[in-house]
Amino acid sequence: MFPRFQPRRRSFLKAAGISIALPALESASSARASEKQVPPPKRMVCVGNEFGMYPGAFWPEEDGREFALSPLLEPLGKHRDNLTVFSHLDHGLKGGHFAVHTFLTGVKAVEASSMRDGGISLDQRAAEHVGSQTRFPSLTVGSENGLHGGCRMSWTRSGTRVPPIEGPRELFRMLFADTDAASRDRVFDRLDLQGSILDSIRSDANDLARLLNESDKHKLDEFLTSVREVESKLALDRRWQRVAKPKPPIDESDDLGLTRDLPKIYDLIALALQTDSTRVATLEVGGSFAASDLGIKQGYHGLSHHGQVQSNIDLLVQIEHYQVEQFSRFLDKLSSIREPESDGTLLSNTMALFGSGMGNANSHTNSDLPIVLAGGGFAHGQLLELPEQKNRRIPLSNLFVSMLQQFGVETDSFGKSTGTLTGLEMA
Amino acid sequence: MKLLTVNLGIRLSLAAFLTSAFGSFALCDESKPERTKAQSVQDFLNDYCVDCHNADDVKGNRSFEAIAGEITDEESLVDYQDILDQLNLSEMPPSDAEQPSSFDRMQAIELLTRQIEQFHAHRKPISTQTVLRRINAREYRNTIRDLLKLDTTIFDPAQDFPRDQTSEHLDNNAEWLVTSSHLLERYLLAADLAISKALLPLEKPIEQTWKFTKNFRQQPEIDNVHGKFNRYEHMTLYDVVGADKPEGAYGPILAFADGVPHDGVYEIRLRAEAVNRSHPYDEAFIGTDRERPFRLGIVPGEQTAGELHLPQPIEPLLAEIELADEPTWYTVRVRLDKGYTPRFTFRNGLMDVRDLWGKLVKKYPEQFDRNPKGIVEVRRAAIVDGKLPQIRIHEIEITGPIFDRWPTASQELLLGDDFSRVAQSGLLSTDEMRSHVQRFASLAYRRPATDSEIEKVMRLIAVRLTSGRSPVEALADGFKTVLCSPNFLYLGENTAGVGGELDQYALASRLSYFLWSSMPDQELIHLAQQGRLADDAELTRQTQRMLSDSRSDAMIDGFLDSWLALRQLGSAPPDRDKFTDYYRHDLAAAMREETDLFFRHLVDENLSLENFIDSNFSFVNRPLANLYGIDAPAGPGFAKVQLNDRRRGGLLGQASVLTVSANGFDTSPVVRGVWMLENFLGTPPSPPPPDVEPLDPDTRGAKTIREQLAMHRNVSTCNECHRKIDPLGFALENYDPIGRWRDRYVRSAKIDSSGELPDGESFTGIQDLKKIMLKREPQFARAMAEKMLAYATGRMMATTDRPAIDKIASSANGTRELIEQVVLSETFRSK
Repeated sequence: MFPRFQPRRRSFLKAAGISIALPALESASSARASEKQVPPPKRMVCVGNEFGMYPGAFWPEEDGREFALSPLLEPLGKHRDNLTVFSHLDHGLKGGHFAVHTFLTGVKAVEASSMRDGGISLDQRAAEHVGSQTRFPSLTVGSENGLHGGCRMSWTRSGTRVPPIEGPRELFRMLFADTDAASRDRVFDRLDLQGSILDSIRSDANDLARLLNESDKHKLDEFLTSVREVESKLALDRRWQRVAKPKPPIDESDDLGLTRDLPKIYDLIALALQTDSTRVATLEVGGSFAASDLGIKQGYHGLSHHGQVQSNIDLLVQIEHYQVEQFSRFLDKLSSIREPESDGTLLSNTMALFGSGMGNANSHTNSDLPIVLAGGGFAHGQLLELPEQKNRRIPLSNLFVSMLQQFGVETDSFGKSTGTLTGLEMA
Repeated sequence: MKLLTVNLGIRLSLAAFLTSAFGSFALCDESKPERTKAQSVQDFLNDYCVDCHNADDVKGNRSFEAIAGEITDEESLVDYQDILDQLNLSEMPPSDAEQPSSFDRMQAIELLTRQIEQFHAHRKPISTQTVLRRINAREYRNTIRDLLKLDTTIFDPAQDFPRDQTSEHLDNNAEWLVTSSHLLERYLLAADLAISKALLPLEKPIEQTWKFTKNFRQQPEIDNVHGKFNRYEHMTLYDVVGADKPEGAYGPILAFADGVPHDGVYEIRLRAEAVNRSHPYDEAFIGTDRERPFRLGIVPGEQTAGELHLPQPIEPLLAEIELADEPTWYTVRVRLDKGYTPRFTFRNGLMDVRDLWGKLVKKYPEQFDRNPKGIVEVRRAAIVDGKLPQIRIHEIEITGPIFDRWPTASQELLLGDDFSRVAQSGLLSTDEMRSHVQRFASLAYRRPATDSEIEKVMRLIAVRLTSGRSPVEALADGFKTVLCSPNFLYLGENTAGVGGELDQYALASRLSYFLWSSMPDQELIHLAQQGRLADDAELTRQTQRMLSDSRSDAMIDGFLDSWLALRQLGSAPPDRDKFTDYYRHDLAAAMREETDLFFRHLVDENLSLENFIDSNFSFVNRPLANLYGIDAPAGPGFAKVQLNDRRRGGLLGQASVLTVSANGFDTSPVVRGVWMLENFLGTPPSPPPPDVEPLDPDTRGAKTIREQLAMHRNVSTCNECHRKIDPLGFALENYDPIGRWRDRYVRSAKIDSSGELPDGESFTGIQDLKKIMLKREPQFARAMAEKMLAYATGRMMATTDRPAIDKIASSANGTRELIEQVVLSETFRSK
């Protein structure tokens, strides 16, 4: 289906050692504050779940601009004209639960090292572009738990997962909890120490490299690359320490499990975007998402294996309906926030992607993924039906190329893409 | 190189059916040779294989058209080995194709065997090596514990590390242990935390006592009613910790929510009683055991980690007390870290009281005055007027921290004899600091630190002194630097001379990370220093010594996780409705414990590997015995039990294996069959072909899973693998998703657990299958040896490792010897 990638690992690794993109500190400058003409920044939010959407209740009957809302799209009714549903998009991968993590990367983690960009995920690719312009290049909210590790959506260039922020409390503290003057001295001292430690261990690594054979040296490159990246993060941290965090308009709250926390997490993400604390956020709806908090006795995973039993399907759809409702509520929120110095709302400048790496949980397939894109300045209001035939299918990564371009990234490829997504136009 | 290695690894596994087990089968065939013409391997392939395995068709991804007739490289070795294995197993050609005469088959086998042997004999030195290997999170945790002599009951320095990637369930595969900036950031934080914990406070904390005799506030849901009922005069516990929405499962002392002020040992005295052990209700309805004393557990809690009345991520069982029925004083000593507060639990208490309140009132209406309505009234009635089993705690005293030595072992390790003086003055000379750094770095790097390495740390210390740190603070920063150095975080697998043989220190580390998942101890380092470790007798002695040390539990755990995928136990939680006992009795932990104890016993007693296939004993506690339907041991814990009924026995009768190979709510012969092939037999099937139509399970009809699977077994592309997969899974169908025996499915269809293996041998059920497997023990032994060698070296095995694996498997007479043979192998001792 996709052209076969010829692995050239050695040459890649050599390249990776030197070419890795670090947040562009110098270019950061305070472009926004100085001039009024600058358009509001582009944002990207990616939401995914573990078990997909029950196809029978998700896919609308008609396509094109006339599509009618299906039971699972019904909560998005208000935003019908500001979103696009895509059919027959996927990454051409198999593996059931073991391929869910490919949602935003298009490649399995085990193959990541043979890819040119190391299997980086859409959100992290966008985050690289933002660099140090915001306090957090990206925020990934999710969990290390869940079936076979959960959603696992955010991946770095080095093929490791971005450790997720585990709940609303931690997210709140990152966004709003400021260090007081006294502890700020300690923070700077800690940053100094960490900087000195990095100098020292880099020197250790360089000495060590002299004793190693070629393949070990390549392995050690991961360490040296990490040292450089942490140095940039320290510089970023040092710089943002001098900038006060925004005042929180809401109170901090305890984590109550993802089902109950979902609205709060969406609110916090909206605040993070509004305050320009970040421009890229990812939300993994997996891990502690408990059906029991919706008054359902059976487990979510068990229901996703509905076996065509109608009572199971009904409960499964109820769970998924809740997830769509919350996403819709998030869109409400974004569209209620006006962007300063522009006619648009936050939603006009935010690409909000909702979907999953799982196509049909009952059959464990990762094809025909449920994909909805709202906002972000595209011409929406349609069900974009893409070719279903085997040799004509379009990779989901093409949509990601379109999104990255809209985000301002100068690229014409992502993962196994073959171009941009035809049929999705700018507004 | 990596892709090639991985590829070889997968293909080797595919090809890894054992030759010797079946070799005799073909060779002993007594039928007369029908054709005596000497035939080359190529002729044989052309006659019997190329029809299907050609460049146009490529069945099973094998094309034999281009095979040159000799083994030229490792790619063709894989094909040769695969052909040989298939012939030995009589799995190929398939039964519906033209069959070679037994003479032809035998001759081809002989020729192939000889060619493979020749290739191994003449091939160049091994190209497969373990790449520079980072210690994983588990090893980091253990290493910090042993290096700094820290108590890790509660403290987990690797808690926030991104999860390590696994490959074929191995969590210590060097290729896959990637270092990222996210991890390095956390290394910096963990080093800071660990060194501070080991060194501070410099002044011995004063022992204090806290007393609590009243105002025991309850969980919000049941707080109000207890205030009215008993004015908070005692703490009451109801639920077990596994309850879904527990009420009264955790009893924290809210007045002590800030926790203890320092790390250390604390003495807890408490006056408690078991109330209503003999309740007036139906025993099955209530579910607690009238005959057994109530057990009080103590776990830590930390208020910033969440509600103290609810489960928290870190809650090891610190102590357990069997309670008398009347109020009695008990004293225990527990380890608590700064900020942690003790929480009391009811180990064998009620289950899901939130639902039970209502059920009780409904079931025994005559015992309740009014007719309560709604959860609040019902709860009140059940608590106030009911006689539910419960634990009451009337008084609690906490004293500590109690130090059996000061300075602590950690402080002495870091500062030696200088500690007391430094604690007083904070002063240290540069030479003193250098000697502390030298000692610590040599321990941390698992070999003598070089002068240049020490000078680098000293330079950092100098910088810190300049920026105003005291000498002891600056030295502590130096120690932190050591813990972030690649010399600590990576195993320095240096080689001595040619041939890739590990040097002595590297060998000590390889041994200790294999058997302890931690750093080498003094004895190993001492032997390495004297160059005495490479000696066979010494290595065997050390292996035995290390296996008898409790640190080797890490190998039992780590290897079981990697070999049988037991790490995933609990990741697909069983349905709460159907499998209440799983949560009520913490069966996940019990299942795990059984397999741990079983493995440990086979190692300790050096029992035959056959026991993994079938055994007449296992280890159970009471809840597990109930799950199995066998007699429970007398005591509260685990005991070895004789098994007369061979539906249990061996790994395949253990609930851990049966649960991890199910998904929590039903079983699939395909999933369990694949699990067996991958882990138990070491011969994973190929992934489904790309164009295969997925099975969309339909459980509405009367069709059993066997009938549904028959449909795709009729398709030849499916059947090619499923004839190997499904029969093994069918044999396990009598076990439900948590390993309970069943004769029928819920929808009353009787379970048929018979099957036929690819070579035609048939069985009627699991007991029969185990008998067949016992005859094929060498295949099992090979698979286990391969996995163990991979675990021990931190890399995937390749085809070129086959002779080493064969040698280990065939020379080990017993489980402990298998481990010894792994250690003695050239592969283990080489990079």
